[in-house]
Order: sequence, then C-alpha cells, then structure tokens
Amino acid sequence: MKQQNTAGRLLAAAAVATAVSVVAGCTPAPADNAEEGEIVWAIGGPRSQPGGAHLSIAELWNEENPDTPVRVEALPEAADGAREQQALVLQAGGSEFDVLGLDVIWTGEYVENDWIVSLEDVRADLEGVTLPGPMESSSWGGELWAAPLNTNAGILYYRTDLVDEAPRTWTELCAAAESIAAEEGMDGFIGQGARYEGFVVNWLELFWSAGGDLYNSDQSEVVFDVDLATEVTEFIAESVDDGCFAPGYNTAMEEESRIAFQSGDAAFMRNWPGPYALIADDSESPANGVTGVAPLPSFTGEPGVSAIGGFNNAVSAFSERQDIAKDFVVWAATSVEVQTILAEDAVLPVHVPLYDEFADDPVMQQLGEILQDAKPRPAAPQWAEISLEMQRTLFEAANGQMSARDAAEQMRTFLEGTLNG
Amino acid sequence: MPNDTSTMHGGSARRSPEANSRLRAPARWRGISETALARLFLAPSITVMVLVVVFPILYALVTSLNAYTRRQREGFAGLDNYVEVLSSGVFWQALSFTAVFTVTSVGLEFIIGLGFALIMNRALRGRGIVRATILIPWIIPTVMAGQMWAFMFNITPGSINGLLGLGDFNWLGQSGWAAGTVIIADVWKTAPFAALLLLAGLQTIPSEMYESAKVDGATSIQRFWYITLPLLRPAILVALLFRTVDALRVYDLPEVMTGGAFGTESLSMLVQQYIVETPDPGVGSALSTLTFMLVLAIGVIFVRAIGSHLVFGERSR
Repeated sequence: MKQQNTAGRLLAAAAVATAVSVVAGCTPAPADNAEEGEIVWAIGGPRSQPGGAHLSIAELWNEENPDTPVRVEALPEAADGAREQQALVLQAGGSEFDVLGLDVIWTGEYVENDWIVSLEDVRADLEGVTLPGPMESSSWGGELWAAPLNTNAGILYYRTDLVDEAPRTWTELCAAAESIAAEEGMDGFIGQGARYEGFVVNWLELFWSAGGDLYNSDQSEVVFDVDLATEVTEFIAESVDDGCFAPGYNTAMEEESRIAFQSGDAAFMRNWPGPYALIADDSESPANGVTGVAPLPSFTGEPGVSAIGGFNNAVSAFSERQDIAKDFVVWAATSVEVQTILAEDAVLPVHVPLYDEFADDPVMQQLGEILQDAKPRPAAPQWAEISLEMQRTLFEAANGQMSARDAAEQMRTFLEGTLNG
Repeated sequence: MPNDTSTMHGGSARRSPEANSRLRAPARWRGISETALARLFLAPSITVMVLVVVFPILYALVTSLNAYTRRQREGFAGLDNYVEVLSSGVFWQALSFTAVFTVTSVGLEFIIGLGFALIMNRALRGRGIVRATILIPWIIPTVMAGQMWAFMFNITPGSINGLLGLGDFNWLGQSGWAAGTVIIADVWKTAPFAALLLLAGLQTIPSEMYESAKVDGATSIQRFWYITLPLLRPAILVALLFRTVDALRVYDLPEVMTGGAFGTESLSMLVQQYIVETPDPGVGSALSTLTFMLVLAIGVIFVRAIGSHLVFGERSR
C-alpha cells in the first residue's frame, strides 16, 4: 500500500512535469532554420504542389543563383487558406517568408497592414514589358507594391459547329442560344453563377462591359451606378428565367461550367483559359475540335471587359534578405524562361514580348488582345468584405430572393461605407 | 479525511524506505490522505483541461470585448460586438437555418436511427453484414460525403434527377430545396451514428421483460411503448444530446454543398467568415461566444434530463 502511494506520487510528479513542459512548448521556438542565404517563396495554388510550375521556376533560379537559392513554401491551394497562412506569420512579424505570392485582390490589405515593401525602385524594370492590368493589380495608392507573376482572364467559349462566329452582344448570344435549344435541345450559356467569389467576378464583367465601375481610378470616390447595376442584375435574373442561361447556372463554379460545356450540355461558356487544353485533349467530347474562344459579349457590341486573376509576387517587410527577394520577383516577372514555364502550364504570362513568340497561335493571340483591356477587381483592403456583400445582395437579387434595385442601393451604401474606414 | 496534506507530505519524505515497507499501520500513517492523493492524481488532467478548454473560451470572451479593424486591435469595445451581431439580419438568418437544420435533421436521424437499431438488434441471420452496411455512411469523411451529394444533386451531370426522372430540377439552386439537400445528406451521414448509440441501449434491456410481457398478453406495440421506449430513455437522451450539439455546430456540409447560398448559412460558417475571410476577431469571437452559450444551454438541459432520470431510477429500486 505504502509503495503504491510513493509510486503514485512519482507518477503525479511526472505528469505535472509533462504538463509544464507542454506549456513551455507553447512559446515559439526560433523559427529560422533556413540555410545561409536562402530565401523562402510562400505561394499557394495548385502550381506550388510537387511537380508544379512554381517549383520548376525555383529550380531555374537555383541553377543561376547557387549562392542565394529560393525554396518554395507551398501554401494551401485555396486562396483563403493561403492568405490565412501568410497572415499568421506576418501578423507576428515573422521573417520566415521573404517573397509572398499574392492573389491580385490582396495588395491593398497587405499594404495597409505594412506587411510588404514598396517596389517603386524597380518599376522601370517592369513597366512597358509587363501587361498593364496585372501592373494595376500590383499597385495601391499610386505606388507599385508587387511584381506580376502570371495573369488570367475570363473568356467566352463557343461552338464553331453551332454558330458561324462568336456573338458580340448578349442579345446575339441569347438569340443563338434560343435557336440552338430549339434545334439541338442544348442549354444556353453557363458561367460561374454560384454564390462565391466567382459570381462576383462574373457580375463585375457584365457591369464593366456595360460601362459601370465600383470606384474611380484612385479609389477615392464611389462611382457605382445604381440604375446600371439594377439592369445588370435583372439581366441575369431574366436570362436564368427564360433559359438563355443554363439551368445549373446559379450553382455552377468553374468545374461545373467546364463539365457542362465539355459534355455538350451548354453551347456557350464563360471560363478562364485553363479548360481550353482539357477540351482539346478530350476526343470523346462533343466540343472537341469545334471550340472557339472570343472576348466576352457586352451590351453594346464593343468587346466585353474581362476580370483579371493570377498571382503577383511581393517582398515581405519582415524579410532579412529583401534585396535578393526583390531581384527574384523582378526576374520572375521578366525572364522569358520563367514566363514560358507558366505559359506551358496553361497559365497566362505577364511578359508582353512573349506573346510575340506565340504569333502563330491564334488562341494565344486572342488572349493577348483580351488581356490588354482586362481589368483587375479593386485591390482594396476591404475587398473580402465587399465581395461578400455582393454575394449577399446581388446574388440574392439575381435569383429573385430580393429586388434588384434594393440590392444595388444596399451595395452602393456599403461601398460608400468602405471609404470612411 | 481532513488531513493536513503539507505536513503529511513532509513526514513521508523523511521516512526511510525500510521503515515504509515494515509499516502496516493505521490510515493516518500512510503519508497522504485518499482525498489529497486523488487531487494530486487529478491535477495534471485538470491542468491540461484548463489549458485546452477553459483558456480558449476565456480568450474568446476577452477578444469579443475588443474592437478590431480587420486584424488590428483598436481598443476596448464593451458589448459593441454583441450589439452588432444581434442587430444584424445575417445572424438571425444563420440562427434560423441552424435551428431548422438541427430540429429536422436530428428528428429524422432519431426516427431512422431507431428503426436501424431495432433491425440490427433483431437480425439473427447476417447480423454482421447488416450492421456493417448500415454503418458505412458514418465512416465516410463528412467533406467527401458533402462533395458527393452536391455532385449527385447538381444539374450537371444530374445523377439524382436522372434517377428520379426530374429533368433539370435545381435542388441546390432554390431556397428551401437547398436546405433540404443539406438535411438529406446529414441524415444519410449520421443516422447510423444514432443507430449505434440506440443499439447499445437496446442491448441493455433484459429479454425477461419482453417474455413476461408476452405472458401477460401485451401486443408488440404495447411492448415497444411500455418496455422498449422507457428503458431506452437514457440512450435516447444521450443520442439526442450528441446529435443536437453536433448539428448546432454544422459547418462542413453546407459549406461544401451550397457555400451558404439560398438560406443555408449556418452559425459556424458565419464564425469562420469573421475569423478567416473578413477578419474581425472581435465580432467573430462574439459570434462564437453566443454559439457556445447556445450549445451549452442545450447541453445543460439534456444533462439535467438524463440526470433526473437516473435519480428517479435509483429511488424506484
């Protein structure tokens, strides 16, 4: 009995000691286990996964710069997850990341939080040889804060066996959709109409193509036109009702859209350029060999305005190797090899001269033209809130859960509120 | 045994090991009282529990009383965050979806789960296979189950519409139906769990009771109503408690299946939004504190119900 007690006490003491060491373990250990001279490139997306283009880019850099190698820190594929990982480190002032892969809409937030350094001193290296849209998405408050890595733009996919040429206006598209539905029994247009960031992008493309915008150019004033926004939202609601938009539109994201178009259910699609290669490779698909790409339709007949996606590289304000990091981001934006790696992985390069090398590729030429007029979503610090508010108002209105005018008015009030805070 | 622990401690330390082994003495000689020893044994686990359970709760409470602009703390806010949450329509919408979801899914899961449990309890031939089959949905990770159901309900490729001959019925893209699909997926996924808990309860009911009831001429409905249900009550309450608390925190299914569209945004999705997507830790913490209090209140009600039954059960014996 006595011995048991002694043993028990020992056990208890050991348990307490363990508990104490657990607590001690909570204090952050010195995190810098990086090799001498190594810089860390924290970027998300599918291309940071093993075998992805970002790793090939790092390899290329390491061959040219063996003394200052770069290591890819693969962040989560989903944008929100990647942003959260970066924020956790930056919030604590951590120097673990030197180069940050930013989604085009994060620039403002990172600048306002003092997380990244100005790249104004390397602007001359980028300007002129880099597409203007990605440059704009890398800027905040008139200053350059990131170097574009790649870009992306919404385009219209159409079937060359169903229409002679791509529709230029939504009226043309809906008329074609109606006759195709009658003759072939196919659905009309599919895009990203589910309630998520994709809906906001699709809605903005319609709104921009109709001549609207959220803010003026330096984001000091709200120019959101309530009447125009109401018309655009009502257009979506009507198109869903009359069948011009495919029945699955309001639950479709990129993947659902691609499946609908590739399987021959939908005659037109708004999507990023990625699916083009997939459709071209799928010999079973009814769209195989008869798929054309064109600028998005508009309401006026002018080419529609595409929204820009993609990554920009910024330099962390807490990096201890900012000079090397700066060299790296500029190199990634302007090196023909890097930009070719991206182009070969179905991502659009930002390096303008590269588009000349694809002069004999009609799709690449088409994309190059679309990109010249493409617009970034505002890179405001409040973008996440704005996007969510658009999903809560405009999406509801587009699906008849709310009046389109109320939604537009609520949106304008919300945008005005963002200027004060 | 109200002993002075500290002196007993000191005393025991001074005693030599040989003396210890020779002693077969009265309780107070044993160096430390049972109660004190129990406390000592419990200390590490209580410390760990305080660290991993109480600390985060208190931390959330403190955070919820502060004002933030995005991630930056702006100062003390009092109850402003709570006022903001309680006066926003989005919160009440999320609360009402969460409530509807909880009541319908738990209700259906209980009824279906009870049916499964009765079958599993009865089945003599192929018992193992029946049980394994019924439990399969529960083994599948929720996110995958959600993805799978969303894919089947979706218009393209439209497996469920094809099966039911519904053409282009938009399950996920209409209010009402969207919530329905999430509930169907949840019932499919967790009815087996309810069944498992209820089956454990069923197996504790002695077969003699049914036999004597039969001798007394009770019909099968009477036997179910007057023997099975009352004796199953503790198991039912435990099953309902587990499922209700779980359902109130639902996040993964609506997130994966509808993304919160068409009135399917749950409280936890709202919390996630304020903590991760549009970071305002103050509002996020206020929301999670409110969710926590709701879950706690419901938990307390259930535990009381279970406890009172045990008390009554003891008295009648």
